[in-house]
Amino acid sequence: MRSEQARPIEINLNLRLTAVLWCAFILTFLVGARPALADPLEGTLDVQSGFVNVVNGVYNLHVRVRYPVNEETRVSLQEGMSLSYDVDLEITRARRFWTSASVVTLSLQRELSYHSVSERYVVRDPLGVNEQKSFSTLEAALSDLGQIDAWPILVASQVVNPGDYTIRVRAIVRRGRLTDALRALMFWSDDWQRKSEWYSWSLPR
Amino acid sequence: MVPATLSRHRTALWVAFWALLVFGALTALFFSAQNSAQFGKWQPWILLASAVAIVILLGLLLRKVTQLVRAYRAGAPGSRLTTRTVLVFGALVAMPLLSVYVFSLEFLNRGIDSWFRVEIRQGLNDAVVLSRSALDLRMREQLGRTEQFARRLATLPSTGAMLSAMDEELRRSDASEYVLYGEFERIIGATSDSVSDSLPERPSAELLRQIADGRGYVSLEPTSDDGYVIRTAAALPLAAAGSDGARFVVVTHQLPRQFAELTDAVQRSFSQYGDLAALREPLKYSFSLTLTMVLLVTLLGAIYGAIYSAEVLFKPVQDLMAGTRAVAKGDFATRVPLSSRDEMGFLVQSFNDMTKRLRRAREETERSREAVERERERLAIILARLSTGVITIDRELRLQRANAAAGAILGVDLAAALGKSLTDIEPANSLIRQFVADLQSNLLAGRDEWREQLELKPTGVTGSVKVLAVASVSLPQTEDGAPSFVIVFDDVTRLLEVQREAAWGEVARRLAHEIKNPLTPIQLSAERLRRKLLPSLSGQDAEMVERSTHTIVQQVESMKQMVNDFSEYARAPAMRLENVDLNELIEEVAELYRAQAGSIDISLQLDAGLEPVDGDRSRLRQVLNNLLTNACEALENVPEGRVLVTTSSVETGGVPQLLLCVTDNGPGFPPELLSRVFDPYVTSKPRGTGLGLAIVRKIVEDHGGMIDAENRTPAGAQVRVMLPISDKSRREQA
Repeated sequence: MRSEQARPIEINLNLRLTAVLWCAFILTFLVGARPALADPLEGTLDVQSGFVNVVNGVYNLHVRVRYPVNEETRVSLQEGMSLSYDVDLEITRARRFWTSASVVTLSLQRELSYHSVSERYVVRDPLGVNEQKSFSTLEAALSDLGQIDAWPILVASQVVNPGDYTIRVRAIVRRGRLTDALRALMFWSDDWQRKSEWYSWSLPR
Repeated sequence: MVPATLSRHRTALWVAFWALLVFGALTALFFSAQNSAQFGKWQPWILLASAVAIVILLGLLLRKVTQLVRAYRAGAPGSRLTTRTVLVFGALVAMPLLSVYVFSLEFLNRGIDSWFRVEIRQGLNDAVVLSRSALDLRMREQLGRTEQFARRLATLPSTGAMLSAMDEELRRSDASEYVLYGEFERIIGATSDSVSDSLPERPSAELLRQIADGRGYVSLEPTSDDGYVIRTAAALPLAAAGSDGARFVVVTHQLPRQFAELTDAVQRSFSQYGDLAALREPLKYSFSLTLTMVLLVTLLGAIYGAIYSAEVLFKPVQDLMAGTRAVAKGDFATRVPLSSRDEMGFLVQSFNDMTKRLRRAREETERSREAVERERERLAIILARLSTGVITIDRELRLQRANAAAGAILGVDLAAALGKSLTDIEPANSLIRQFVADLQSNLLAGRDEWREQLELKPTGVTGSVKVLAVASVSLPQTEDGAPSFVIVFDDVTRLLEVQREAAWGEVARRLAHEIKNPLTPIQLSAERLRRKLLPSLSGQDAEMVERSTHTIVQQVESMKQMVNDFSEYARAPAMRLENVDLNELIEEVAELYRAQAGSIDISLQLDAGLEPVDGDRSRLRQVLNNLLTNACEALENVPEGRVLVTTSSVETGGVPQLLLCVTDNGPGFPPELLSRVFDPYVTSKPRGTGLGLAIVRKIVEDHGGMIDAENRTPAGAQVRVMLPISDKSRREQA
């Protein structure tokens, strides 16, 4: 009688153990089967400084970003891969007794590629038409990408009480010239993507 | 039915929801794989939904499998069939799915690898090198010209001459722009073939460094309009330093359109290939992952669907099995829910109809059984109340059933003898022994049905003869095929006695009428003859007449007495009932007999607390007279004759009665007459009419009493009379 009572518990435990093992196996398969690659964007990625000034009633943003430089990036670029160097900007206005309101959300997109025939690094605005510069070295190109000056972000008339406004900026490096479908397809497998911490400050009163 | 319908609808909704979700996710995945930007934006969510669907599906599947395994191990109805179906269905789905999956994975890997073959990469590299070589030659030519032009500028005396030389050179050469820089990269002068008023580009740091190093600078720079410029720079020799501080000249050449397009084509191919090559491994992984997810969703969904379908399919079978088990256990109220209108539904409907009919049949049987039981109880009550004895026996005389009257008639406890053979019941009882012997003789003779009158004689000196009217009928054979018989018998002793009494009454009346009337004339005639003839005769004649007439008169008197006795026996005068103290009457009558009896000892043992009886005093006196006369006459030749008269109170059948016993120590009744001592004209005495005890019994029975007689051991006889006590006394007792 005792053994008959204990049997269902044993079955239950075995089944649960089997279920857990199966789940673990599937998760391991899904996640663990991912190719083990070195971080190609190793190095410092941060927003070093940022400020705004008002010129002719327009708030202009000045940002300095330090992008990572390493040999893998250089090799990948020289093998034809392109990289996107985006800068995201958000301006919010603090509200009393409520969450902050989003005032402006902007994104500055640049693309860096290596022109193998001319052996030059080309920086271009993928959305612009004539915005293109070329550099003989990667460092020069990244230095140029890291210097953003006079980016008009806000009209002064939009600002009521400047002290309530917060600006925050972050830099993003990712694989460039990739369709959304492909980018999504590599949802779990794309190592060419890094985001910096948000760099934020308030508008001067 | 309502909850089952709701449950089915809920399940169908859930299945439809999940099927829609999974189908939507798979469709979205398919379109996204077709490189659609629209679906690409949704793809993270689609992937998430698919992953969630897989996890939920996996949970549901595990739950189902767990339930299935438990049911299989517990041997639940239909579990083995369900398991087998799921295994077969799962295998049928899994094998082609896995084959397609493995083939697709291999195809994908090989296909993607084929895109990035080494030959393609080498060809593109070669094209780049070739392009670069062709352009290098052109660039070196341009640099040489620029250096030559810089040396010529250095020979010119003034800045104006330099600018004029630059204009002239612009017109003469294929260059698009000439810019002359001085100290600190100050533009001294520039000439261009374009009409733009914008300033020339600031020289790059590399250009400045190379000029500072005294080397010439040349670069091929792509432009925004998909063109190329060859930018060359050369420092002016030191001799010209005095000429307004001019330091170097930068010349820009537009690459010819044909060269530019070819170069751009090579570069675009190289870049696109580079981009794709960088996606090689991630693409393989992503496609494999997508394919695996599709496989998992499909496989899990198929197995879950197989389990669900099997459950739905075999649910009626399980219900039917459970219903069959319930019916086998006798539960005919079981109803199997009707889940569909197909063949299975027809089967379920038929099962329900069958159980309904079975239930009705059982109810009918139950009602019949109850009716039979009621009839049996009624019959048992009737049999129990019946004064006729009824027993059923088999051929081996085993008693199967007997009513109380049967035991009372035969004087044995038949209720305790059920199942026993009649031959084993109280062998000492002569009545049952004779009764059984008669049954045996009839059965051995092969008579199943007979009717006869059976006289059971007591053995020894005690008891009285019983006459039974016995009838036997064979019963329908029982389940075991053994024949049985019902024996019906009635004690007709009393009935016969009554019939005899009635006959004797009729005889008495006829005697009284036919004989008594002629006796008086005979007596008168004899007396007249005596009176007339006797005085005239003498001697022997007178003596003869005297003797003859005397004899005639005496015999006539005797006959009169006899006729009177018969009349007394036959007539039934109306009784004058009163409360009679029997003890007092007994003492009175006994006193008279003590005086006449001589040596006979007449003793009394009377119950002092005896209740009076309702009776006719004179007739009860006659009862005592007759009994004492009988007793005294029986003791005539007995040396120490004793007569004992006792009274006592007894209860018979809950009715209080008075018992009168007259016992003597005489020779007793002859055994052959014992059963008929109360019949008229039955007597063992040489003289007497034999009507004394017959009259006694008639009077006792007229008073509602009973009488019997038996011989005593070692000698003597006893007559017992039971009379009911008076109603008044009975009411007072109550």
